[in-house]
Amino acid sequence: MTSELEQELKHLIIDTLELEDVTPEDIDPDEPLFVEGLGLDSIDALELGLALQKRYGIKLEADSDETRHHFRNLRTLAALVEERRTA
Amino acid sequence: MTTPAMMYVHDWRAWQPGRRDTSQPRLSVAEKPAGGHVPAMLRRRLTGIGRALCDMLAELDVDADCPLLYASRHGDGERTLEMLDSLAEEAPLSPARFGLSVHNAIPGVYSIGRGNRRTQQAIAASGDEFAALLVEARGYLAQGEPAVIVAFAEQAIPARFTAHFTTPVDTAAVALRVSLTPAQDAWALTPRPLTSDDTAESRPQPSDLIDWLCGIRDELHCHRPRQAWSLVRAE
Repeated sequence: MTSELEQELKHLIIDTLELEDVTPEDIDPDEPLFVEGLGLDSIDALELGLALQKRYGIKLEADSDETRHHFRNLRTLAALVEERRTA
Repeated sequence: MTTPAMMYVHDWRAWQPGRRDTSQPRLSVAEKPAGGHVPAMLRRRLTGIGRALCDMLAELDVDADCPLLYASRHGDGERTLEMLDSLAEEAPLSPARFGLSVHNAIPGVYSIGRGNRRTQQAIAASGDEFAALLVEARGYLAQGEPAVIVAFAEQAIPARFTAHFTTPVDTAAVALRVSLTPAQDAWALTPRPLTSDDTAESRPQPSDLIDWLCGIRDELHCHRPRQAWSLVRAE
């Protein structure tokens, strides 16, 4: 099951990171977003952090264990947004 | 006595969207080049000219083993201006855009995508890019490189910058594989002394080079203004 927020985040990821060959269905909510799974890199992590700040008002430390946890997969990312969104 | 050739052009590729001479197999006029030689996760960060160049380089350097000399006077003017606008508005910069705004961005993506670990140079020379490329190429060949790839790319000047730069620039990219070895179908590049006919106009852009490669002009003149250095020891 994909929640509405997860669906929204899929579109945010695809649009922000210009994943031209990826569709929302290609993003498995339980698969890793970085390196393995979707295969995003460190520049994507910074770009995604900026997008979360712009869209939801969430500020993250660039290189903390906590951020690594939030960025693990789509579900952890959705949980972060659910908990900390101000916008 | 004829002047010995400086070097030889063994093969070339070019890209100029909207150009008409489409019968030339080495020239692409695609509005949206495919970038098919670059893995998708790298390709997504390239604009059209980067995709075109990566495809051209992959075809010219099949074994991904040649040094690459790349030149552009203006680089990606559009992205640079976008970032300056963001800074002026005190808005955060896009990390991906910033990373791809450096002058060697396209050669860098190409080298990662193709696994070419040879020397790369990214040159900007105030309009004398092609002359600078020839000088650099000659240096590498003199050091014993069997061949080098010379790439030259420009994009049209963004409309909001044309008040500061009035010479029109055509969006185009060209790449040559050059060496010191003659071959039957290789074209010689020959130096000659400067004459009084040489003017500042003899500073070819990529589109001029494509005209020459496609046979629209027989000769292409290229010279650098005479330069003088004075070395003075500070007191």
